[in-house]
Amino acid sequence: MFLKTAIDTLQDSVPRDCGAFLPELVLCTGIVVLLLLRLFSAFDRWHLGWLALGFTGIALAAAYDQWFGGIDWIPTPEQFRAEAGSADLFSRMLVYDYFTVFLRLFLLTFALLIIWLSLLTGIPDREDSADFYTLILGATVGMSVMASTNHLLMMFIGIEMASLPSYALAGYLKGRRQSSEAALKYVVYGGGAAGVMLYGISLLAGRFGTAYLPELGAAYVASVGQGAAGFDPILLLGTLFVMIGIGFKLAAVPFHFWCPDVFEGASAEVAGFLSVASKGAALALLARVALALGGIRTLTTGAPPVMNPMVHYLVPTLAVFAILTATFGNLAAFYQNNLKRLLAYSTIAHAGYMMMGLATLRGEGVRAVLFYLIAYLLMNLGAFAIVAFLRNQTGSEDLADYRGLVRRSPWMVITLCIFLLSLLGVPPLAGFVAKFQIFAALLKGAQDYATAAPTLSTWLIVTLVLGGINSVVSAVYYVKVMKTMILDERVEDVEGKEPVRLREPVPSVAFAVVLAGAVAVFLAFWSPLQKAGDQVAPLVKQSDRIAKGSQP
Amino acid sequence: MNPIPLHHFLAVGAILFALGAIGFLARRNLIVMFLCAEMMLQGVAINLVAFARYRGNLEGQAFTLFILTVAACEAAIALALILMLYKSRGSLDVSLWQELREPGQEPTIDEEPLPPPQREEPLPKLTPAGPEPHHHEEPSHV
Repeated sequence: MFLKTAIDTLQDSVPRDCGAFLPELVLCTGIVVLLLLRLFSAFDRWHLGWLALGFTGIALAAAYDQWFGGIDWIPTPEQFRAEAGSADLFSRMLVYDYFTVFLRLFLLTFALLIIWLSLLTGIPDREDSADFYTLILGATVGMSVMASTNHLLMMFIGIEMASLPSYALAGYLKGRRQSSEAALKYVVYGGGAAGVMLYGISLLAGRFGTAYLPELGAAYVASVGQGAAGFDPILLLGTLFVMIGIGFKLAAVPFHFWCPDVFEGASAEVAGFLSVASKGAALALLARVALALGGIRTLTTGAPPVMNPMVHYLVPTLAVFAILTATFGNLAAFYQNNLKRLLAYSTIAHAGYMMMGLATLRGEGVRAVLFYLIAYLLMNLGAFAIVAFLRNQTGSEDLADYRGLVRRSPWMVITLCIFLLSLLGVPPLAGFVAKFQIFAALLKGAQDYATAAPTLSTWLIVTLVLGGINSVVSAVYYVKVMKTMILDERVEDVEGKEPVRLREPVPSVAFAVVLAGAVAVFLAFWSPLQKAGDQVAPLVKQSDRIAKGSQP
Repeated sequence: MNPIPLHHFLAVGAILFALGAIGFLARRNLIVMFLCAEMMLQGVAINLVAFARYRGNLEGQAFTLFILTVAACEAAIALALILMLYKSRGSLDVSLWQELREPGQEPTIDEEPLPPPQREEPLPKLTPAGPEPHHHEEPSHV
């Protein structure tokens, strides 16, 4: 009898759930098709990047439809919730809300851009193209699962689905020793971190008897709410271990050590992919976990404030990690003489800024982080793309070979300068808008916490001040790169050779100019993005309810 | 019969995990490092199954199945990579891979060299087999 009801429920829910999971299913089909085509020798002469581009495009269209609605059998999160009664997919493993769809749009757009970039730079040659794009699509599926996870098991599987292809991608330049070394370091650290995280998961799931995030959040509140009597070493250890796993994916200090080495060894395209997509997915995961445990509540609206006790622990913890990550990333970047390594530290620092937004544990903070992710996609992808284009021409990524490059490759250098200025946060570029949002969210959070929890308010103010100082410090190394490229003497003049103007293929310049243009006019998209951020608000309300202990 | 209490299982799981973690950090042989990482996962599996038995459901077992699958994928990638690395350097020593590091930082050289490779004992030599020697017909003694 029990089995029959279970099967009936499954029959009801699976077709509906598949509509909500459509973008991932399209990507999976793409993977299978790519692998099958690899079997036929006739396709060896084709560059399969176009096929991968096509599948990603279809998936993106499906995700677009999920956001705006239109086709009947692809439900928007709102319709889905009305029909199914909850936002949970596949027996509570995943959750389908606007946050999920936002991250899907983000990841798929990025995958589209990175495939386009790889077609321009020609990193996978024709024979290997199927493998390369299989790995890219597979990692994208994993990251998208990470962003929609609602269960500790899916959290682990999502992280692994994203990591395993990344390991192979890091070692993709088979002939180069550095690439192999990068893959080795990534696999070794990744395997260790996965083991530690799993141990944490086993402790938490065992301690509370559930791995479903909302229930876990309620259990945390019940346990921590007892004060000192509720102190539980298993709880502490489990949380710590899970946080180590997430922090590793996020490259948060002190779990960042793999990041510079992997970025330096891997090709610039792969480094760009890891820096944006992997980090975006890890941040989304951190946001989900932190919100499930810490639960945002609105302190402003009339109801008497019910403080979620977890907030007192989570806000300082996240703030400390965010400050450490941003500061360390900015300080270490200063000494680098390899551009990819420098960008790796800059990536770490930016992860720190985004964690500052999450540290508020409030709707504004999450919205600011989503805003930041878009800006970060444009400017970081741009910077890594230029590094790849210039590598194809000069064969080097050392800062020493960038001396006086503006006279040999003006378009590339000028667009790179735009991206670097944006990363630095110079108005009116994208990076400035994004940082402004984060700092505004911190200030707003500090004001809102001021009456109910003055300590937290102080924490957020300290974070804000240190974030501002960090922004100033980061100017040093971004400006150093620009000075090297623009003001320094040409390498050829120093070495007494005839300077050659570098080739700048039109499609590559077009790619760079489009991204730089988007970075420059980003300010114009302020209000549509703000509106998109507001649509993610149901996530905030949902965790609000959970924080109060009622059923979602 | 007394059932074995939960904390005994958890202790075994914790010991396995800790041994794996120590080996993972201390060993220099690539393959042994990965074996240690797998051992950490086995500790986790014991934990999960013990909790599932304690609570009387099958969630821990389901969890464990997924962990085993993922661990197999990870091992496949790691072993393929190790094979590639071994082909390029001819050694499994992880300290040979230090090209990528901070500018100005010296490579970490272990003072204590690896133990010299054990000389393999030559296999015992058997007399080469030939055609069966001619046996003289023995007269029957019966």
